[in-house]
Amino acid sequence: MHKWFGYMPLSISTLCVLCCFPLLAAVSEYHIQLKDHLFFPSRITIPANQKVKLIIENQDNTPEEFDSFSLNREKVIFANQKATLFIGPLQPGEYSFFGEYNPNTARGAVIVERQKLEVPDAH
Amino acid sequence: MLINTVILFFRDALPILVLLAYLYAHLPTSQSWLLICLVASAILSLIYINQIHTIGQWFAGIGIELSLWFSQLLVYLLALVLACGLTFPKWSNRCFTYWIAGLMVSLTIASKGSNFILYFNGYLNQSNVLQSMLLGTFLGLGICLSLAILLYLAARWLKQRFGLWATWLLVHIYVTGQLVNALPLLVQIDLINASETAWSSQSFLSNEFEFGHLFNVLFGYQATPSIAQVIVYVCALTLPLAAFYWLKLDSTTHSGNIQ
Repeated sequence: MHKWFGYMPLSISTLCVLCCFPLLAAVSEYHIQLKDHLFFPSRITIPANQKVKLIIENQDNTPEEFDSFSLNREKVIFANQKATLFIGPLQPGEYSFFGEYNPNTARGAVIVERQKLEVPDAH
Repeated sequence: MLINTVILFFRDALPILVLLAYLYAHLPTSQSWLLICLVASAILSLIYINQIHTIGQWFAGIGIELSLWFSQLLVYLLALVLACGLTFPKWSNRCFTYWIAGLMVSLTIASKGSNFILYFNGYLNQSNVLQSMLLGTFLGLGICLSLAILLYLAARWLKQRFGLWATWLLVHIYVTGQLVNALPLLVQIDLINASETAWSSQSFLSNEFEFGHLFNVLFGYQATPSIAQVIVYVCALTLPLAAFYWLKLDSTTHSGNIQ
């Protein structure tokens, strides 16, 4: 019984390292601004099958909630504050998002595209 | 602004009212419980919203997501404690059941209700939107209350027909759905890696539509659930059911042996 306790620190450290992997992996950042209840840019293109970080800056004096059914994301962005959220890895396609408090104006989409492989020129 | 307010009520007030309807049908009738519950929830919501900026700064800006997820997890666990009251006679104290149900409602109102306070606090200063917001509030509240009353009557009928386990099952399905709905919060702060979609029924019934909203509240319907959400949903729904069924069977056998 006591023998197994010796392995505990090792197991816990391994678990911690494994859990921290997603945090350590480098991810691309994409910035979106919210002004006058409009997203700028309203369409952003991200690579397929990759996790990316969205940084949304609310420049309005009212709060907004970033919402997307297709992305399964929901995040309140306070007035004149920034909010960060991770999306992906996603399949190619278009994923719409909107501001829950102003859904008629604050609308946008994440376009997910396959990255073109750079083929070396034969000539 | 009118439509926005109605939609906001449909999304955030409906889950609160559905839980209230189920619990009100499940518990022995008590109006004072409802009143105390609502007052406690209002106080908890105000404390939460007052501290939301500080909570948001916790753990490098992921405090809000973590607090919302933990509150959903706690509501789910409290629902299991509620079932313990049905299984073990020791736990079936009336006062204890009221406390558990009250905590469930308070936590749900604090997490969902904070959205309302943020919305109204942000937009009530604009005098031009006040009228449409008030109209939207009455419309939204009217729709949600009507649905909640219908669900309450259905739950009462189920309780009379099949007993307390039927209403608990409704509560259990509801809290499992809410727990699964909260899982993307952990994904969006990059705490867990679970974005792979299991299926897409977006073309069949999108979460943007009214029925999509309703089904999402009632049993956690997602048009594009992740594989992790499906696994958590199945486990969180079936494992306690199997465990309580086994415990009930076991206690019945034991009491039979004693007799």
